[in-house]
Amino acid sequence: MTRFLFKRLGLALITLVLLSMIVFTVSTILPGNVGRAVLGPFAAQESVDQLNEQLGTNRPVVEQYIDWAGGLLQGDLGVSLTKQVPASDLLRPALENSLKLALVAFLVCIPFSILGGVIAGLRYGSPTDKGITITGISLAAMPEFVTGILLILVFAIWLGWLPVTAQWDEGANVLTQLKYLLLPAFTLTLVLFGYIARITRAGMIEALDSDYARTAYLKGLPSSVVVRKHVLRNALLPTIAVIAVQVGYLVGGLIVVEVLFNYQGIGLLIYEAARQKDLPLLTVGVLVVGVVYLVVTLIADLLYAMLNPRIRFVTAE
Amino acid sequence: MDRDLRRRVEEYRRDEAGPLENNLIDELVAGELDRTEFLRRGAMFGVSASMLGAALAMTGEAGAAPFGQQSALEPVQSGGTIRLGLPSFGASLEPYLLNEGGSLAFAGIPGEYLTFTDVRGRILPSLASSWRPNADATVWTFQIRRGVKFHNGKTLTAQDVVASMRQYVSAKGSNAGLSPFFDAAGVSARGQYTVVFRLKSPIGVFPYLVSQTTYQAIIQPAAIAANPGTWVARGMIGTGPFKLTRYVAGRSAELVRHNTYWGGRPPLDGVRITYYQGTAPMVLALRAGQIDLVMQFSAQEAQTFKNNSRFKYYSIPTSAHRQFCMRTDQGPLRDPRVRRAVALCINRPQQIQRVMLGAAQVGNDNPFWRGFASTDQSTKQRTQNLQLARALLKAANAENLRFNITTWNFADHADHAASIQAYARQAGIDIGIEMMDVGKYYDSEPAGADYFTTTPWLNRTATLTEYGARGVPNIFLTRSYMSTGDWNASHYKNAEFDSLARTYLAASEVAAQKRATKRMAGLLLRDTPVITDYFIRYVTASSSKVRNYVPDGISQMKLAKVGLA
Repeated sequence: MTRFLFKRLGLALITLVLLSMIVFTVSTILPGNVGRAVLGPFAAQESVDQLNEQLGTNRPVVEQYIDWAGGLLQGDLGVSLTKQVPASDLLRPALENSLKLALVAFLVCIPFSILGGVIAGLRYGSPTDKGITITGISLAAMPEFVTGILLILVFAIWLGWLPVTAQWDEGANVLTQLKYLLLPAFTLTLVLFGYIARITRAGMIEALDSDYARTAYLKGLPSSVVVRKHVLRNALLPTIAVIAVQVGYLVGGLIVVEVLFNYQGIGLLIYEAARQKDLPLLTVGVLVVGVVYLVVTLIADLLYAMLNPRIRFVTAE
Repeated sequence: MDRDLRRRVEEYRRDEAGPLENNLIDELVAGELDRTEFLRRGAMFGVSASMLGAALAMTGEAGAAPFGQQSALEPVQSGGTIRLGLPSFGASLEPYLLNEGGSLAFAGIPGEYLTFTDVRGRILPSLASSWRPNADATVWTFQIRRGVKFHNGKTLTAQDVVASMRQYVSAKGSNAGLSPFFDAAGVSARGQYTVVFRLKSPIGVFPYLVSQTTYQAIIQPAAIAANPGTWVARGMIGTGPFKLTRYVAGRSAELVRHNTYWGGRPPLDGVRITYYQGTAPMVLALRAGQIDLVMQFSAQEAQTFKNNSRFKYYSIPTSAHRQFCMRTDQGPLRDPRVRRAVALCINRPQQIQRVMLGAAQVGNDNPFWRGFASTDQSTKQRTQNLQLARALLKAANAENLRFNITTWNFADHADHAASIQAYARQAGIDIGIEMMDVGKYYDSEPAGADYFTTTPWLNRTATLTEYGARGVPNIFLTRSYMSTGDWNASHYKNAEFDSLARTYLAASEVAAQKRATKRMAGLLLRDTPVITDYFIRYVTASSSKVRNYVPDGISQMKLAKVGLA
């Protein structure tokens, strides 16, 4: 297991280095430059050139990358080119916000989705199954922008139960923060429900149809025991993999939801940095999301191995 | 009474007035100026309100309200905090770098300007209490208001104004656009409360150029202004009705009442600003009662607040417009007949209803908005004429005309371009639309290449670009239409036009300005380097409990008299 862990960590490190290189390279293809983003479209070109010179953004991208990577190795995440503050000062609160939203969304979404998938799988072919499946697909097909606006209209504007924006006052307690996070979390739940529930349902159907489930039934075990001890354990394996993939999205890919609920998360920060060609901020932002993604994937793999002895044996070999 | 008035006016003309003020009164007496224009011009030359009233009464305009007198204010409760919704901004908040709606609206709350251009295009005193030009409008002398306190307790003096203005014409990267008019040596203090501007060339409307329409020109304390880039770090100290107490970049800001504000104690206790990444969340937040007032909406977004008793809907005409520029020096639009044909395809009133939902005024392919005092209203309005358009195309041998409109994904640009495309199709013109991101549209192409000869917005065959509101058309002329203009996207070069523009810029008398604008408008109709088919109304909304808010048309939020019901 230790070897497996080290191997995965080594691969993660290589992935992150490649990721940072790709971000730097791709950014050079993007239109626009930092000087103009700071000074505005109507600024004199001379001023834009002066600012680019001052910021060092007129240097070759390789030189900029080496400079940035050198700083990173010494623990310096760099300085945001457009805002002229340390990138860490911008990243920390944004990451904190994103993790909070991801956690709430996760806690609301995962139990609901798995429960939906399990019920649909257990009642395969029934109206309940069809209802869950069709609802899930319909919700997944709706853009999160539309889902979010519908929820805002109902719960914030018509009923007035929840705030429109996910922006609480400084020093708000956990419960208040939770209240502000509910609508975006529900939006994400509706978006992800169909996907996770369908995977769980498919796993359930496959597991219920397996030899070991049939044997368990034939042994006379009660249905609840068969499902809990034999079926679920196997049915949830693909669900875990899918959830792990979604965590990356929940932390770094929520630009639309963050805009709609005016939430200062890392997705928005990365988007703005990309728009303004703020390379140090963009790269560090992407790397942070990459690290979260890799850590969660690793956890999922370990969980997978714990639940599935075959994987354990393969990795042990 | 009449004799007293006449004597007062004559004494003024003899003892105080210079040639410009005397010309103004002569124009009024001769019937060349109506009351509104007289007041507007009089204020610009720094003539006192009582003298303007006296001159009007003397010429039979008795009962005229003195200039600058505000309409009656609605009663408000003292206290309360107004919650503003502003669009977030990526660039700097330093005054000399301001270039986005959200940042200029914010900076303009603690910050103030020498003068103020109101929604009717009138110039009002602000930190300057009065001003006077010399005979040829090359030297303007401003009296600085006494007793004004900055938020840090310092008293405003001429030195603060001089240091601020020097920053705006000298700081590297300054966006203020004042350096063509004067340089650092051209602004000086005479005593504690007098500032003298020596201009590079005559400018008859100079007070407009130091009003909030040049939103960078905030007056800062001299010690801060001497070090460009330190205003925000030092707490955004200005003279405005509210002072900053807290600012979280990209998220929110809080300001409290400036108790020693020169304009009287503001009714509100404070202002709380929330920044939004998009306008959709602002619409929802206002509807849900989470904010009280929004900086600006598009016509479409504001529809939900129109005719709704829970909200107030604001819509004011402005000189903000779009310029559909066509290359006059090369390509398929080189022939002026072809450009005229394109302009003749557009059904302007119908387009305003379709694209702007009525929130615009018809333009006549020139930058002379009908609200400007200098605009001659007698120029015939261009209207749709498809028959003539086809005939012009045929005469120019351009019956299979094809070209692209290049623009970026901003506000009404996409709908506007599609509208022009549809109208042009009726005359057999095939227009494609090249839609870009803001970074690409306003950057050199490829990145790093010479800017002015490669950037799409200045070099494509036809471009659609946005221009904000101004109190006078000077910047439109000097930068977009004159052959020396650095934003001349149509590459229009016409010596006669340049000469008329220079005449206009130097003219102080409104009659001379009108003569120049009329002739320029005629040349622009003939050559049609730019299609300006509409001037945009500034639209926004607030909750119905907001009282006495008047938008100024360029996103500045004047809150000194605003209160809550």
